[in-house]
Amino acid sequence: MENKQIIGLLVHNHPGVLLRVTSLFTRRGFNIDSLTVSPAGIDGYSRMTIRIHGDDSQVEQFINQMLKIVDVKKAEVLPESTSVAMELILIKVSSDSDNKNDIIAVTSAYHASLVNIGEHSLTFRASGTPSQIDTLISQLSSYGILEMARTGIAALQNGDSTLAH
Amino acid sequence: MQLNGSEIIAECLLEQGVDTVFGYPGGAVLNIYDALYKYSDRITHILSAHEQGAAHAADGYARTTGKCGVVIATSGPGATNLVTGIATAYMDSIPMVAITGNVSNDLLARDSFQEVDICGITMPVTKHNFIVKDVKDLANVIRKAFRIAMSGRKGPVLIDIPKDVTGAVCEYIPETPKAICSELLSAQEDFEAAAKAINEAKRPMIYMGGGVVSADAESQLLALAEKIDCPVATSIMGLGGFPSSHRLFIGTIGMHGGYETGKATDNCDVIITAGARFSDRVAGDREKFGKEATIIQLDIDKAEINKNVKINYSLLGDLKDTLSKLTETVSPAKHDEWTTQVAEWAKHSGVTETPSSENYAHPYHIIEAVNKLTNDDDIIVTDVGQHQMWVSQKYRFEKPRKWCTSGGLGTMGYGLGAAVGSAVANPGKRVVLFTGDGSFHMNLNELATVRSYDLPIVVVVLNNTVLGMVRQWQKLFYGRRFSQTDPHRKTDFAALAEAFGVKGMRINNDSDAEEVLKEAFASTEPVVIDCRISPDENVLPMIPPGKTVDDMITEME
Repeated sequence: MENKQIIGLLVHNHPGVLLRVTSLFTRRGFNIDSLTVSPAGIDGYSRMTIRIHGDDSQVEQFINQMLKIVDVKKAEVLPESTSVAMELILIKVSSDSDNKNDIIAVTSAYHASLVNIGEHSLTFRASGTPSQIDTLISQLSSYGILEMARTGIAALQNGDSTLAH
Repeated sequence: MQLNGSEIIAECLLEQGVDTVFGYPGGAVLNIYDALYKYSDRITHILSAHEQGAAHAADGYARTTGKCGVVIATSGPGATNLVTGIATAYMDSIPMVAITGNVSNDLLARDSFQEVDICGITMPVTKHNFIVKDVKDLANVIRKAFRIAMSGRKGPVLIDIPKDVTGAVCEYIPETPKAICSELLSAQEDFEAAAKAINEAKRPMIYMGGGVVSADAESQLLALAEKIDCPVATSIMGLGGFPSSHRLFIGTIGMHGGYETGKATDNCDVIITAGARFSDRVAGDREKFGKEATIIQLDIDKAEINKNVKINYSLLGDLKDTLSKLTETVSPAKHDEWTTQVAEWAKHSGVTETPSSENYAHPYHIIEAVNKLTNDDDIIVTDVGQHQMWVSQKYRFEKPRKWCTSGGLGTMGYGLGAAVGSAVANPGKRVVLFTGDGSFHMNLNELATVRSYDLPIVVVVLNNTVLGMVRQWQKLFYGRRFSQTDPHRKTDFAALAEAFGVKGMRINNDSDAEEVLKEAFASTEPVVIDCRISPDENVLPMIPPGKTVDDMITEME
């Protein structure tokens, strides 16, 4: 079944580890749409959160290949049902005096806050699940999106479980 | 004790039991070579003609001993010349530690003379690599590198060391390497489930690969095959992992495997795969491979499960352990009807041999004649191409680690370097290199090494004057448009050998062969035999790429 899955990676914070992980994407033909790297809150480790497209066997192969990298300590699927996944977006929408209020009405429904006002644009910040962000983008697209930047996904398992256990 | 980085390298090699290294000196490794001079009573260094030859030699050394091969090269071009050798080892899971010098820390990242980012370059073809910027980290990195190379699925590891690190002094504390323990990763239930499928099988077959040799698990595989009375086919890499003379051995599987292995694969109801990876040269059509069969895969690398072919049961761990445990769990069986059927297929080879001629020898004839003159402990090495396939079809391997061939990467030019490494690793044993004129032209410079060290290598050049394997594909799939496969070279390999100080001989046809070969094998002197074969010789049978045994080609013009 073709789907999108979020994978959490715990990696040794060694030089070159990001290159080792990302070079596997092209080498093994994995289809990635989001990658974030941050400190893992454990000394010497970083956390990578990756969203991959693919069927179950491709996801299984992805995890098994990742685990062969010496610097990768853990690699696990973070299923939607048992994890929380969020990202943040900054989005600049084309705007004039006629549609300004419409745009603000749309964005407030998604709890987006107005962070900057330009002569012909409005810039919003929003956070939420990847699908909430996708919906916001599609709602705003008719006004004309001038630019946007997404942070990529941050995801943690629900409850007490952690990648490091 | 206080030692400099280069002495630490030498001490760490000794810790790991290394007594032989291959390599080539240069500016960035001057300190290391100075230490090798000092340690020359305990570490033998074999000097190649080119770094690629040294890398293939370390590979041949590893394949024939089971130990980790070690190669040393300087920065820049020295390091890049290793890359093909490292990639060859990586594709065939051969343990190797490659040590490269680099420019000093203060010159790194400035495009200094002979500087190259060899860690970046080798990342996709090593299990792991390191750059050591501080001498204090050096000993532990070397220990880790050997551990990574030799544990799990084996493979090459590269250590890049800036020149100042090799000269810097720090405290060295000797350490004894800890034994590498393998853990059995599959549970008892997994073995029981797989055993149940095997017990219910009427037509089982084993498909084994290089993993059986790498794990030294040949006796465990033999025990399983005999207990369940099951035909055994092997990939090219697995040759020697099961005795060719055994009644259950049915030969190689895949593109140039026999008709019987192809038929057995299509008709069996269970395939037990041990240490093999369903490459495209074995499973041409991934969807149809073993289409009737339940597939059980035993491997040490979890990422091999379901990579190319859908697996029903997987058993993970060292093959010695998984094969023994599976053998304990299955019930003894007899499959007379099935083994008789497979033997029937074997009679139908379908291949007609080309008639003998005055002007050419027949490759099978040469290989069989060499087979008679060698014993089970002699080592057979090949390059890549038609000759490699003919040897894999005809030579009868009885023991593991007597066979070096570039199975995964298919590296033309691999053979002579690997033959050097095999000969150095196995004093007193004969090494035969079968090569083609195309492959031999690539790295024949190592004849200089063969002479320098007086290695007992017989080089048999199956010389058809064309690039035969590519030419065969042009015949089959490109309307006989022989683009760049007839180089019109006039090289006289016998005369060339003499120029290197190596004896040169010639075989012109089948009736010459025995006498010339007998003379070549009578002494331990290195010799090159230029053996003329027809440019129209083909490797048959052949399953075209992406196809099955039903599409097997047994005849060409």
